[in-house]
Amino acid sequence: MLEINNLRAGFEGSEILKGISLTVNKGEVHSIMGPNGSGKSTLSKILVGHPSYEVMSGTITYEGKDLLELEAEERAQAGLFLAYQYPVEIPGVNNAEFLRMAYNAKLKKEGKEEVDPLDFDDILNEKMKLLGMDQKYRERSVNDGFSGGEKKKNEILQMAILQPKLTILDEIDSGLDIDALRVVANGINKLVNKDSALIIITHFPRLLEYIEPDYVHVLSEGRIVTSGDKSLAHDLEARGYDHLLAKV
Amino acid sequence: MTNIELIENGEERVVKKFQETRKTSPLNPKLASINEKALKRFETLKFPHRKHEMFSFVDTKDLASTDFQYRYGPESPLNPELLKDFIYPESRDSVIVIVDGRYDTALSNTSRLDKTIELKSLDEAIGDAELNNYLLDTVDREEDVFASLNGAFLRDGLMIHVLSNSQIERPLQILHVSTGSKGSPVTTVPRVIVKLENDTKLDLIIQSIGIDGNYFLNSIQDFILDKSATLNLVQWQSDPNNSWFFSKSWITLSEDSQFKSTTASNGNRLTRHHYHVRMTGEKADLSLNGISVLCDQEQVHNYVRVHHEAPDCRSDQLFKNIIQDEGRSSIDTTVIVHEGAQLTESHQLINNLLLSDDGVADTKPNLMIYADDVKCDHGATIGQISEDQLFYLKSRGLAEDEAKTLLTSSFANTVLQEIDCPSLKARLKETLLNKLGVKDV
Repeated sequence: MLEINNLRAGFEGSEILKGISLTVNKGEVHSIMGPNGSGKSTLSKILVGHPSYEVMSGTITYEGKDLLELEAEERAQAGLFLAYQYPVEIPGVNNAEFLRMAYNAKLKKEGKEEVDPLDFDDILNEKMKLLGMDQKYRERSVNDGFSGGEKKKNEILQMAILQPKLTILDEIDSGLDIDALRVVANGINKLVNKDSALIIITHFPRLLEYIEPDYVHVLSEGRIVTSGDKSLAHDLEARGYDHLLAKV
Repeated sequence: MTNIELIENGEERVVKKFQETRKTSPLNPKLASINEKALKRFETLKFPHRKHEMFSFVDTKDLASTDFQYRYGPESPLNPELLKDFIYPESRDSVIVIVDGRYDTALSNTSRLDKTIELKSLDEAIGDAELNNYLLDTVDREEDVFASLNGAFLRDGLMIHVLSNSQIERPLQILHVSTGSKGSPVTTVPRVIVKLENDTKLDLIIQSIGIDGNYFLNSIQDFILDKSATLNLVQWQSDPNNSWFFSKSWITLSEDSQFKSTTASNGNRLTRHHYHVRMTGEKADLSLNGISVLCDQEQVHNYVRVHHEAPDCRSDQLFKNIIQDEGRSSIDTTVIVHEGAQLTESHQLINNLLLSDDGVADTKPNLMIYADDVKCDHGATIGQISEDQLFYLKSRGLAEDEAKTLLTSSFANTVLQEIDCPSLKARLKETLLNKLGVKDV
């Protein structure tokens, strides 16, 4: 599904990712871990096409296409989704309306008929229930005045509605208390299937107790320094990054 | 001729016109003392030269040097069909139509108004000594030269008086219609006084529209709120773009009163809203919001002075402008917290969305504080569409144009969503966003 080959990329001319290669297949859950500043968020921004980040060399292929040739909206319409670490607040834009527009953009791309607000209401209701979200969040402005936890739930609500093929969760666990984390993780588990894939970016292994990764990669100073199965995450939980990084 | 000469000639012409008018078609004798006092005030204040403090962002040379003909009432009767799109279903049977400054009872429909609201012409109401003194006092205190012109040429006005303990359920609408002129430019000087007695509530819509353009609507409006009165006001300046629109609002707020206003402006050659607010009673509450959407060379300027004279009052201001082409806006707002007005809370926020390189937005929020236990802040932003918000929407699959449309309309929506009247709100959104070639979602 996704193939990253020797990717070098950065921000304002400085190289942050220094040669990353990674293959993600359908049905897989990958976790990318690493200390602050290791390049985890840069990787996620590059994947969704943020204009402030630049690719210096390397390739990214998504479903057989050159991902780097696609605009951000084309990537989204092709089924790529990033749940942001810091979701943007958009005062004045009604959340339900925004979700319906995003949903319709996807339907349009698939050549299907768009849904009207009434039909969309049913879809939205079901997904909000799945995440235990209060109905008041449908009528409020997108993320405006939401608590940290509600913003994260709103990201997963978008994931639930758009049903992406490849989802990247960037620090989805930050700002969530343990109960909210459980709800969000259960929601995510219900949304992934054998045809979709998940990349979980986190520096705390706790989330991985709820969403079990098939592969764990440790990123440090812009490189994947080690990869393994979920036991690598347990190892990190017990002994920390310093121990591991000293070893490699 | 230099600018200064043009302006001085304009002043002489006004005085001459005043004298001629008195000879040929006398103004209302009951208002003569107001007219004369106001003309004296005009002669003292004079048309603004460059860098006049009150007009630092507004070029009024055009207005001062134009030879306007004063008009009161239309030259020929107006076809009611022209108005039907501008009367909202919610206020169908409580609408006051003022044509070229004159209250037109035939075009108005006040069938729903009961005895809790009194409508009187100034001619009738001026017999009341309190009102007469109030009007003379506003003339004396007038610092705005254009408002003094209103006083000098005033022939009549309208007094809306809500009697104590009345909650008016549905909105009252005032529609100012300017017939304008196909020939030489005309001006009208409407005055509307709205007085709410104790424990009253009124929703009021004031809209201005025009037919031929080429007019200067120079109005004064007074809002006097007694104890525990609530006024929800929506104003819409929707005159054609070959017109000028000035309005001076005197707002007096007593104890526990609430004044909430949202003003939307389409802009034209020059629109200027001047608010002078006195919060004279404890726990009065003011909310002053404005939105303007400007294209071509349209202009809208706001000049606000809020006097916190009593303790424990609150004032909130939110002004937003969306500017494209060579549009121009300014906000000059000062909150003055008087000595003894402790526990004042005041917020001023100005946001400008500039969609072109040639638009201009001047902002000058200001605070003058003479009390020590207060909470006041002000802020202003000028910017383009936020790149972060745009990217967020694009990363959810929205096309760039669609995302920009959504963000532009959302910028206006934060002000418009405060409007209660559904049909007015819908019409406003549609009209303002259409100006930008943007559809509401």
